[in-house]
Amino acid sequence: MRRLLWIPICMVALLVPAAVLASGGDGGFDGVVSSIESQYHVHATRIPLMGLVSLLSRKATHNAVDGMHVAEFENFQEPVDGEELNRMVEQKLGQGWERIIRETSHNGKDQTLIYMHPEGERMGLFVVDKSGREMDVVQLSIDPSHLKENLGHYEHRHENSGDESD
Amino acid sequence: MAVCAQAQTSPLPLPPPVEKALAARASHVTEVTLGKNMLTFASKFMNGKNKDESATSRLIQGLDGIYVREYQFDKPGEYSMEETEQLRKYFETSEWSPLVREHARKSGETTDVMVKLVNGETHGMFILSAEPKELTIVLILGPIRMEDLGKLKGLGGLGALGDVEKNTGDKDKEKEKAKKGGTQ
Repeated sequence: MRRLLWIPICMVALLVPAAVLASGGDGGFDGVVSSIESQYHVHATRIPLMGLVSLLSRKATHNAVDGMHVAEFENFQEPVDGEELNRMVEQKLGQGWERIIRETSHNGKDQTLIYMHPEGERMGLFVVDKSGREMDVVQLSIDPSHLKENLGHYEHRHENSGDESD
Repeated sequence: MAVCAQAQTSPLPLPPPVEKALAARASHVTEVTLGKNMLTFASKFMNGKNKDESATSRLIQGLDGIYVREYQFDKPGEYSMEETEQLRKYFETSEWSPLVREHARKSGETTDVMVKLVNGETHGMFILSAEPKELTIVLILGPIRMEDLGKLKGLGGLGALGDVEKNTGDKDKEKEKAKKGGTQ
């Protein structure tokens, strides 16, 4: 019976991203990805079953990581103007997002943009990272205190295992 | 009527033409910008039970901003002395006092540390480190307790602050020693 329950959950996880994509959202993650596609004539590879992956990551991290979106570009032919990319991403992300880190190389090969967005107790993170001919765009929502607790748990385990080996 | 809403970046309180000119000539630029909103938000997630974290939380909660700019150049001479001078002059007001000025003639490296003093308390710190092929600017705005400053060293580009804390601590110890010696 419990197994049967997973069927509708998986269906929702698969259908929600498809519905969001179909709506052709102008801003946010999809807006950024589609503007990169049209501006640089590249095609994004989306991870199959990302909705399900997001759901599982949420479950595995006890809600610490949620709302994962990933898009990958592999065929950038031309260098990217850092100013232009930054302007485009900022415009598509909309209000509330604040850029905290920007790393850019003059030849346009490497670009990194990291934005943060306070979401109550959670924090939205948006990362655009280009290295050579590849670019990754990732969005996720994290609960920092929860995540820290989880990481602390592993740290203690690591410390304990270190003690045992001594 | 279209309303243009877009993501924001807290502007670095430096003369914008200098920043733009440096960025245009640098082969690699790293910018870290943490405005008041982000710092207040980040401080919420520091654990109050941990003494160190609690001190860091207190420190960053009161800050108005942390800005780091690192410009790397392909060859020496791609930024001029006038540009670094312009940056220094921007802080040569009555509020800002020079704390450290180091110049290594052989390597051509210079380090400037300036602090903003309001009623005898530190309310800002500006660090300018210039090497032939690298220029780093760190600007921290808001009330700073020197003894807590090293706690920020975990943040990108602020590793050197650990040494500032160490130096301040050493100086305090020396002062205490001298006091004890004087009373004996």
